[in-house]
This record gives sequence, structure tokens and C-alpha cells, in this order.
Amino acid sequence: MLFITSCKKDEPEDPIIPNEEEVITTLNFTLTPDGGGTPVLLTFQDLDGDGGDAPTITGGILDANAVYTGSLELLNELESPAGDISEEVQEEAEEHQFFFQTTVSGLNTAYNDMDANGNPIGLSTIVTTNEVSSGTITVTLRHLPNKDASGVSTGDITNAGGETDIEVTFDVEVQ
Amino acid sequence: MWKFSKYVVICSVITIFPVLTYGQNCNLAISGFVKDVSTNIPISYANIFIKELRKGVVTDSLGFFNLEPICAEEYHIVASHIGCETQELYLNLSRDTAITVFLDQNSQLLNEVAIIGQGGKVTTQENQSLNSESIAQISDRNLATMLENISGVSAIKNGSGIAKPVVHGLYGNRLTILNNGIAQSGQQWGGDHSPEIDPLVANRITVIKGVGALEYQGSSLGSVILVEPKKIDREPHLHGESRYFFETNGLGNGLNIELKQYSKLFAWRVVGTLKKSGDNRTTKYFLRNTGNQEANIALQLEKSWNKKWVSDLYFSSFNAEFGVLRGSHIGNLTDLEEALNRDVPFFTQENFSYSISSPYQKVNHHLLKFHTKYRISEKQWVDITYAAQYNLRKEFDVRRSGGSDIPALSLNQISNFLEIKYQNYLPRNWELKSGIQMNRVDNTNLPETGILPLIPDYIAYEYGVFGIMSKSFERTTIEFGGRYDFENRNVAAISISIPREIIRFENEYDNMSAMGGINHEFGKGWKATYNIGYAARNPEVNELYSNGLHQGVSGIEEGDPNLTKENSIKNTLSIKGNVKNRLFFEGLFYHQKIDNYIFLNPQDEIRLTIRGAFPVFKYQQTDVRLVGFDLATIYMATERLSLIVKYSYLNGYDLSNQLPLVYMPSNNLSATLNYQIPKLGKFTNVGFQINSRYVFEQKNLLPSQDFVAPPESYNLVSLKVSAERQLRKLRLNMFVRAENLLNETFRDYLNRQRYFADDLGFNMIVGINISF
Repeated sequence: MLFITSCKKDEPEDPIIPNEEEVITTLNFTLTPDGGGTPVLLTFQDLDGDGGDAPTITGGILDANAVYTGSLELLNELESPAGDISEEVQEEAEEHQFFFQTTVSGLNTAYNDMDANGNPIGLSTIVTTNEVSSGTITVTLRHLPNKDASGVSTGDITNAGGETDIEVTFDVEVQ
Repeated sequence: MWKFSKYVVICSVITIFPVLTYGQNCNLAISGFVKDVSTNIPISYANIFIKELRKGVVTDSLGFFNLEPICAEEYHIVASHIGCETQELYLNLSRDTAITVFLDQNSQLLNEVAIIGQGGKVTTQENQSLNSESIAQISDRNLATMLENISGVSAIKNGSGIAKPVVHGLYGNRLTILNNGIAQSGQQWGGDHSPEIDPLVANRITVIKGVGALEYQGSSLGSVILVEPKKIDREPHLHGESRYFFETNGLGNGLNIELKQYSKLFAWRVVGTLKKSGDNRTTKYFLRNTGNQEANIALQLEKSWNKKWVSDLYFSSFNAEFGVLRGSHIGNLTDLEEALNRDVPFFTQENFSYSISSPYQKVNHHLLKFHTKYRISEKQWVDITYAAQYNLRKEFDVRRSGGSDIPALSLNQISNFLEIKYQNYLPRNWELKSGIQMNRVDNTNLPETGILPLIPDYIAYEYGVFGIMSKSFERTTIEFGGRYDFENRNVAAISISIPREIIRFENEYDNMSAMGGINHEFGKGWKATYNIGYAARNPEVNELYSNGLHQGVSGIEEGDPNLTKENSIKNTLSIKGNVKNRLFFEGLFYHQKIDNYIFLNPQDEIRLTIRGAFPVFKYQQTDVRLVGFDLATIYMATERLSLIVKYSYLNGYDLSNQLPLVYMPSNNLSATLNYQIPKLGKFTNVGFQINSRYVFEQKNLLPSQDFVAPPESYNLVSLKVSAERQLRKLRLNMFVRAENLLNETFRDYLNRQRYFADDLGFNMIVGINISF
């Protein structure tokens, strides 16, 4: 009975398109100048997820000798309305940490938030600039890092371990 | 005289000649010979034991034994010989009886056995086996690692629990594995998907290092692995066997119980296995989350309706969980580079643990087979087989927001197979084997994952028809055959572009395969066999349609819907020799050319994702050549002392791109010294064995072809002591094995875990098998 070919083609049914709620399509790094002014927005957007089309990356221009409040937003724009992944990271703060590495001389990023154990998360940061320079800022999100390892709480990624969920690089100019 | 074998002996042919006498009831005798089946050379030091009387003898230098006086009773007689599959014989003794037990010396030597198919006919294709005795002494291993002892066979691993066999450099979809005659259906395309088969259910595992497996459905480009339970002995009493092992590395425990009985109504056999092990240990640290557990059962029923009709039913269920090294779960290329430079993997713990958590694999495989045989006459018969398989694979990753409990991959495959075979012994020593096969495979992704599936859903129909003719002359056997296959596959994939939509594909393939072989005996134990075969393999769904980030291997993999089928021509030449029954030699040389060989080719492209940059790999086709040889020699220094040396060489080359082929097994050299004592106090068949296995560094590879250079050469030493003891009705078989005795730190090229951690350190395994 299995092998009798009926008139209708034996085809698989339409697969159910999975609800890709975990995908991070978008990272917005908003740098708001202390004391007012237009915020600088660094964005990384890859709407079809990993693979497929190339992402769109937008860098930014910062003022020299300035202080910014950095705020990270992670979105899943495959969902409608877009899923807020930064909320998830906040909920599982002990299991996540952002790291900020830069080639811009004089630029410094300090953590401005902490999890229940008093360790940094990095959703909120204070970014300070110094002299005129240019380079890149790399934002890395590690899942299940060892936050107690040496240097990790001050933002040194070397001993953090864990898996990389995000690693994006922005071109930045300080002028 | 030859008397020992590491793996295989078949002692399957037993003849009974009742000798008519008018002796008294308690003055009877059982006598006879133990001989080699092909040369008729007597075999000395074989043990013959009558269970009921707790009485035994050892054959003399003429292979003769005599047991008397014995009363007229029912007896179970055990014929055993070291390394040989112990035979039990049921006898209702009413008069003096002569028995001849035949052993196959050629098999003993070089692990060769004739494939006992439906007709018990010999094929010209090269094959080597593990019998139940040797399986019992490595019961702690899985299918692939059991077969590693056969030259020319290696294992692709991910840690120690997940392993796939590789024969002559081919694995996965290029190698067919038959579980009780049925091609194993499942996700064989995955490099880290081990075959879902419990080797302890089998009585024999055979590797056919062939050129074209025309008789079997499947996508083999030559070699085939057969996992077979044997027919239930026609023995009216309840018999059974129980095996237990414990291993120090991973604190693994395994229990296997088998019960069987024959009655005129029907015969039955049931086998169950439970295994559990925890974190393995290298020489320096525990491998976190590398435990695994299995619970398997198999049921076999045989019924003889009348002289013409015989039916059997087989059900097996394989259920396993395999932990994957926690420190091998990485997010991107930066993580991989970091892991490569570490001495100890991330997440390594001080303590041992049995717990299995993400990342891990959960696999279930159920097989139901119904077979019936109809004898048209003594010389011709028809076999009808129906089989259904259900394969369920779930793979769990480390994920955010409780996602670790949701599988990242969840695939469900149902296949239905129907086969009709016809076999006929024709006049003038011709034999015909033919058949038709139909198979339907339904592969479905379960949407629970929340992730785009790695491979699409599909329904495939496969139809095959084959015919093989063989003819035996006095010293020569010839064999030739052909096969035609047609496959229709309907695929429903989900697009990688947005909005996500369903894309449908339809594939159709038709293939011709052919093979020929000739086997000639020159006398005095010298024999040569030549085989040539042409075979094709259709591109698999993963090669055609996979598209996306494969995190485990840190690459973006892109399929190509325009791939065509692979075509292979393989030649094998084997030479077997025997010098004065002391030095035995076997060499198997092979050459295989595969056109349109499908492989993952690294591209000059780095693609940016939110996880960072990843190298891009595309499934592409090229022409390749595999050349190699397997050599084995055995030197019988004395009747008790022997030396076995084996060497395997393989060179894989991409002819179109003029590059070495990746993932080819390293060359290796193994030497084993055996010492055996037929009887030592209350123990029989006592054996001591020391083995040294040298695995060469894989030098046939360019630095640009891998993330890191292949590991250095290594040498592992292992020891084994085994003995048997008969306790009235119980027969005990014990072994102690020490592996990596010198606790050497090493990594193996074919183990994917080598990017992250060392391979296993010292391990001691103690096992006991009890049969009654």
C-alpha cells in the first residue's frame, strides 16, 4: 500500500516555519553625550539572520574629550513586533557580559550596571574620549563567561571563556 | 600449527555420525576430531566439555578426543578453542557417537569469514569479521570503535562516545551499514552522528571491503558493514548469556543479558543492554559532559511453518544519550582560536560527574523486520522482507533563556522497506542471486527547535533491482553482477532569505552499478582475488540544500542544488599466503577513483554575522583518487606464541584541484604478541596479549586545509588477559584489558574533539561473561 503511486504526488507537507525567537538581528549601541546633544547611534543589522545576505553596519563620529552614556539594545526583527533580546540578557544577567575592545586611542568604556552578584553586564556603559583619533570599537557578548576570572570584571575578555553570542565591530572617529 | 586468532574463528560446521553399537546404557562413548574446514588439518588443544557430567578433555596432537564411559542421556557439549566462537551442541545420546567439529583456519588467521548469506555462499569480495566471542571481550566499546581493530577500518569521532566507522577512507553516506540485513536509515550524513546500533545484540559484525555492494540497498560506494544476530540454535532448553563490564575511565558500567530457546512451535531470543558512563579523563583532566547512556532491547522470533516456509520477526530498539564535551561548544571563530590555544578546555571541572547536560544528543532508533523464506526446491528459494524503521534525533545546545531544554535540531525519519529476493543454484556450479527492493523515506523536522532546520523535509522513493551470477570451478570462483536504482525525492525547504517561505525541489536519479570478481587458489594456502566495481551515489539533501551557520564547525555551509551524482570505480587485489603453516600473509591493495566527489570546499570568503566573521564552505564536486593497502602477517613462533603485525596505508588526493583530501584516516601500524595456554589449573583457554598501535601523523594535508595542523604521531600500548572456566552448567569467560597503559597524552586526527582537548588517558576494563 505504501508503494502504490496514487495520482497525487507523495510530497512532504508544508514545513512549519519555526518561530526564530532566539535570533539576534540587530544591535544598537546608542552613545548619548553627557549634558545633552545629539546621540550617536552605532548599528549592526542582519535581517535574515546568520548567513544569507550581508549585514548593514553603521559607524559614528564622537567628540574628543567627551563623556557619553552608552546603552545597548539587541533586537530580533525577524519577529513582528521585534523581540527585545536585551531584556532577556538583563533577566539572565549573571550568565552574560559584554566586552568592549577598541583601537581608538584614549577611548575608554566603563561598566555602568551590575548583576545580582555585583559583576558587570555592559548593557549600560560610560564611554569617555580623549584626543582626536580613529579606529574601531568591537562589542562582544559572551554567554556563560567566568565572571570571576582574573580581569573579567574590569572588561578584559582574555580569561572570560563562554560562548560568543555577538561580536560586531564599528568604525569610529573621534574629532 | 595455527591455533589462535585475535578476532574470528568460525566453528560453525559440526557433523554427527552415529555409530551403531549394542553397548550398555552406561558404557557409551563420544569421540571425534576437531579439524580445519578447508584443509582438514587436525586442531590440537581444543577443549571439549560435557556440561551435565562436568567432564572435559583436550584434543591431542591429532585433534582427536574421546570421552567414555557415558550413560545414555541428554547432554550439552561445549567445544571451545581460544579466540574461537564457543559452540554448544545438544545431543540425545543413545549409542556411541562420533563428532567432527570443523574450524575454519583461514578465518582464524586473518579474520576472514565467508559471508553466510541465505545460501551460505562465498563471495569474492574481501571481508573481515568480529565474532561473538571477540565482541564480548570488547563489550565496552561502540560499533565503530569495535571495528577499529580491523585493518583498513578507522573511526571518525566526536569525543569517545560518538563514533562513525570509516572503511578505506569512506564513511557516512558513502558506507552502508546493514542492521540484520536492513540498511540503517537515519541521519547518516552528519559527521558526528554515530550509527544507532547496539553491537552487543549482534553475534557477528562483518566489514566487506568491497567494490560494489550490489545486493544491498543503500548508497555505498563499495564497502558495507553487516551487523547480524545469528539464527537461534535448534536447542530445546532455555539458554542465556550475561555480560557485565566495568571501566575505570569514565566509571562506565554495562550489562547485557541474552535469553533464547527453541521449541517445535517457535524459537525466540531476547537481548537487552544497559550502559552508563560519566566524564572521561585524559592524562591530566576530566572531559566535562562526555558521559553517555544507552538502553537497548532486541527480540527475535523464528518459526518454521513446514519444510518449505520459514519466517522470522526481528525488533530492535536503540535509545541513547551522548554528552558532547562542554568546552567544545563555541560561538564563533574567535572562540575556536582561543580554544585551540588552551591547555585545558573551558568549563573543565575538578570532579568526575555522570551528569549529561547541553550540549548533548538524544537518539532513538527502532527497527521492525519481518522476513519469510519459501523454498521452491532444495536449490532455489525466495526471500521476502519487510522492514520499518523509525529514527528520532534531537540535539541540544547551550542556549539562552532556558533554551537548553529545547532541541536545536529535531529530526524524525520513518522508512519502509520491501524486498523480494530469488536465489537459485543452477547446473554446472552456477549460482544466481537476484532481487528487487523498494524503500520510502519520510524525513521531517519538528518545528519545536525555534531554529531554521539544517536539512529540509523530504519524502524519497527508492527502487532497485539487482542480479549477481557466480560460478565455482575447482580452484577458481568468478562473480559478476549488475544493479539498477531509481530514486525520486520531493523536498520542502525553508528559504534563508526573508520573508521565510517554502521552496520545493524534486530530484530524480537513475543509476547503474556493476561489479566483477575472480578468486583463484594456487594451492598450499596461496590465494589471489581481484575485484572491480562501478557504483554511484546520489547527492544527499544536506549537500544540496543545507544553508547557514554550522556553529559546531565554525563555518557557514552552503549546499548546491545543482550537484550531480558521484561515480566511483574501485579495484581491489588481495593476496593471501601461507609459508609452512607458520607464517601467514594477507595483503589487500585498493584503488578507487570517484568522479564528482562531493566535499565541503573552503572558499576565499569570510562572511560577517552578528556572531563575528565566519569562513564560508561550499559543497562542490571534484574528481578524487583513493589509493591504499591493508597488510597483515602472522607468525606462529610456537604453538602457544604468535605475533600479528598489521599496517594500513591510505592516500586520498583531489585530482582536479591537486590537493590532498581532508579527513582521511592516518596510516597506522599495529603489533600484537599473543601467548596462550589451553589449560591452566581450573581455567581453560588462558590468553595473554600485548599490543602496540602506532598512528602516524597525517602528513598528507596542507596547512590551509584545517584550522590547526594534524596532531603528531602517537603510540598506544594495551594489554589483555583472558580466561574461561566451566562451572557445571555455567561457563565463565573473563577478561581484563588495560588501554593506553603508559598513559600517553595524544590527540587523534579523526577526532573532532582534538581542537579542544586531549584524547583518553589510561583505562582499565574488567569484564565477565556467564553463559548457561
